[in-house]
Amino acid sequence: MSLRPAFGRQAILICCSFLGLVAALRATPDLESLFQERLKSVVAVEYVTETEVDRRPTITMGTVIDGNGTIILQSSAIDSRAAISQLKDFRIYLPGDGTSTPARYLGQDAFTGWHFVRADPAIRDRLTPITAFAPKSGAAPRLADFVWGIGLRNKDEDFLPYLMQSHLALIEALPQKTGIAQQEIAAPGLPVFDRDGDFVGLALSSFGQSFLQFGRGGHAQPVTLVNVEESSAFALADEVLPYLGRIPASISGRPIAWLGAFGLEPMDRDVAKFLNLGSQSGAVVSEVLEGSPAEKAGLRPRDIILAIDGKPIPQLRPNTVVPAYIDREVDRRRPGDRMTLTVLRGTEHVELTAVLGDEPTLLREAQRKYFDRLGLIVREFVYGDAVVRRIKTAERSGVVVQYVKPNSPVDIAGLREEDWIREIDGTEVRTFADAVQKLTAIEADEMRTEFVLLVRRGTDTAVLRVKLR
Amino acid sequence: MLPAVLTIMLALVVMPFARAAGMSRGFNRLLDAVVRIDVREVEFDGGSRRYSASIGSGVILSDDGLVLTNAHVASPRAVELSVTLANLERVGARLVGWDHWTDLALLRIDMADAKQRHLHFTHAVFGDSNVVYPGEVVYAVGTPYGLTRTVTRGIISNTARPFADTAGVEGYETGMFNTWLQTDAAINPGNSGGPLVTGDGKVIGITSRSYLGANNLGFAIPSATAKHVVDLLSRDGKITRSYIGVVPRSLQDLEAFYSLASNTGVLIDSVDPGSPAARAGLRAGDVILTVNGAKVDGRFPEQLPGIELLIASQPVGSTLALSVKRGVEVRSYSVVTEKLESRVGEEWAFENWGLSVRKVSRAYARENQLDDDTGVIVLGVRSGFPADTAGLSRGDIITKINQRPISSLDRMKAEYAGYTAKPAPTLFEVQRDRRVSLYIVKP
Repeated sequence: MSLRPAFGRQAILICCSFLGLVAALRATPDLESLFQERLKSVVAVEYVTETEVDRRPTITMGTVIDGNGTIILQSSAIDSRAAISQLKDFRIYLPGDGTSTPARYLGQDAFTGWHFVRADPAIRDRLTPITAFAPKSGAAPRLADFVWGIGLRNKDEDFLPYLMQSHLALIEALPQKTGIAQQEIAAPGLPVFDRDGDFVGLALSSFGQSFLQFGRGGHAQPVTLVNVEESSAFALADEVLPYLGRIPASISGRPIAWLGAFGLEPMDRDVAKFLNLGSQSGAVVSEVLEGSPAEKAGLRPRDIILAIDGKPIPQLRPNTVVPAYIDREVDRRRPGDRMTLTVLRGTEHVELTAVLGDEPTLLREAQRKYFDRLGLIVREFVYGDAVVRRIKTAERSGVVVQYVKPNSPVDIAGLREEDWIREIDGTEVRTFADAVQKLTAIEADEMRTEFVLLVRRGTDTAVLRVKLR
Repeated sequence: MLPAVLTIMLALVVMPFARAAGMSRGFNRLLDAVVRIDVREVEFDGGSRRYSASIGSGVILSDDGLVLTNAHVASPRAVELSVTLANLERVGARLVGWDHWTDLALLRIDMADAKQRHLHFTHAVFGDSNVVYPGEVVYAVGTPYGLTRTVTRGIISNTARPFADTAGVEGYETGMFNTWLQTDAAINPGNSGGPLVTGDGKVIGITSRSYLGANNLGFAIPSATAKHVVDLLSRDGKITRSYIGVVPRSLQDLEAFYSLASNTGVLIDSVDPGSPAARAGLRAGDVILTVNGAKVDGRFPEQLPGIELLIASQPVGSTLALSVKRGVEVRSYSVVTEKLESRVGEEWAFENWGLSVRKVSRAYARENQLDDDTGVIVLGVRSGFPADTAGLSRGDIITKINQRPISSLDRMKAEYAGYTAKPAPTLFEVQRDRRVSLYIVKP
């Protein structure tokens, strides 16, 4: 869990890396064949995000996890704002092969964040699940170990595979155990191997690196660069292998557990000391969402979560990953599960038991509808919209503007994306269906010259007159 | 809705022209009444108290030394004010009153000093801004870019330009209660606070702003507004206005939609959450037809400042009777006014913490959906000082110190006094984008 074991090994680091070098040298003749064999576990995945107004293709990389041709993609491979229904035309390309076969999107798992895709049966025998290369011993990689992985070139180069290699420089809990190599070792989403070809982890999105950019006048400007094609960070195998079975039962990824503690902020060591908590870690709850399991359990804003089910929140570095730790503790559970929280309230320790609920409708699940003549896409007002706007459940009505077509009537009237439509033609909009019915009628009426929207933007509202002719 | 570029204008002394043969006596007298104002003011931006200097223009209004200028030239932040008379003699002055809503401030020359030194000056006379007409020749007097004794000539380009700006006067709201005179007389940075006059030297406006980079689009506060503000500031030192919390909007082109005759009522575009209007049940989309029985007409944007002024002029705490149309219904509402407050609160610096703050005002709390006006906003932290080291940054709202709510700036000063007397780790509760964090500020 902690970094302590890794540091314990530091004493033999030099010796270790020497042995590693010898082993690497010995294994060098085999690396190419290991590489060729493991290529069958990696694919390029292309999909299209299709809205009413455009189609945006995206290419990402995935790893084969089972004999059914199931492939996992990183959570960042798909924009979380895209509606599930907009994700279309998934296709799989084998490395170095210019042809593609169709695939099916299975959904996202809340705990791992992975998106699951299933390959067409026609190419399944050309795929090898990564589990075939799982280490027999189960031993974790050690500092200075030789590690390597696969990168794929661009589509116009038929996703030609290439080798990357480096040595393990650091292992850190973020909160998942994460290995960081000296250089880039794999495309994000693709596996990382050791010198024997055993699977040691799955490459994550790469971390930002700080550089100085020198302008014309010789002035240096700090910039952060992120390599989107290759990464040096990977989740260790035991953060990956136990969870490969979490294939979503439905495309929505549900059931998803929900607590409803909003804005978790880590408590730093000085604060813990000040509050007589010693070296205890924890997170401050900024808000408790209305109607949430956390509210029902009696959690209050400014409570500091110290333990979950009696297990203290671990010290993590940087402490900004503490909230992610708590989120994962929720996400690994299921709706209906109990979760006991130990919190500090003022100077008192309080124990609360929450029965986790079902995550309210997510943005990606919200209903949407496009009105071409008016020039907008409206979407259902979901729970998250109420949270963002600090709206009480009772005030939840209306629809949100998802998209404004440039130079369309609503654009000229001043409507903007994320505006919240409260009234159409002076009548309150209650539900999504209500809005769709009203806007459909306006759009169908060729004789209409104008209509009026009442929208809210931040804490202000505005009456917008939309001229149609 | 054009972006307002407020130009900080440096004013100047204008000497009478030796050969002002073409000019009237009134104009020459006016030139003797225009002054340059040097200001040293305190700023709380960077985590400490800092001083900066600026220059503006002004015009003397009375024999007892009242000087009118812009609020963005002389504000309560000023720690030192001096006035340079037309004869180039410099004399001290103090702030009599300040009104950012109209961008006007009133100073008084140190008369004891002036008398002792036998300093002489004349005073200007107001003209009537209500009778000026587009095309009328006007003159601006000031110190553009430090070029003293600059008189520029132009015409009145527009007599009623609406020009509201929520942060136009050093972050303070301005322009809601009056329209502006627009002129093509060259107004440059440095003209601020100087008079806009007719050929006979009558002050019809106080030049205040212009579009930088545009060709001669300058603006002045009309004398009708200025006269009223001068009366109130010289009497009370401040102007108290009423607030109900509605944002008006012109009804032009929407009359048919609201089934109204033209020139009837004003539309409510927005109601501030928690404001008197919100509590009384007013909503966006409502149309106000009458205020205390008087019909209002907000057909055009130019008419809105007058309506805002009508509401603002009511005594604080008085009950406004509004007749309001919502849908087909017309209903009466009673709204009890509150005192109008800026959303910019009082500022202070805590030097040992390296922290400068501004009190959360009621208006700021409403705007940002805070529960109440508890807390102070961090204006700046000094690099390497305790607040910075602890992790505080600009824009944070400090809500508690050592678990005690910061209900006022005095409360925070008391916490600071305790800290300076006996420096010890201090717990700050901070809100940043609705997220609550705890920090320890260590000596």
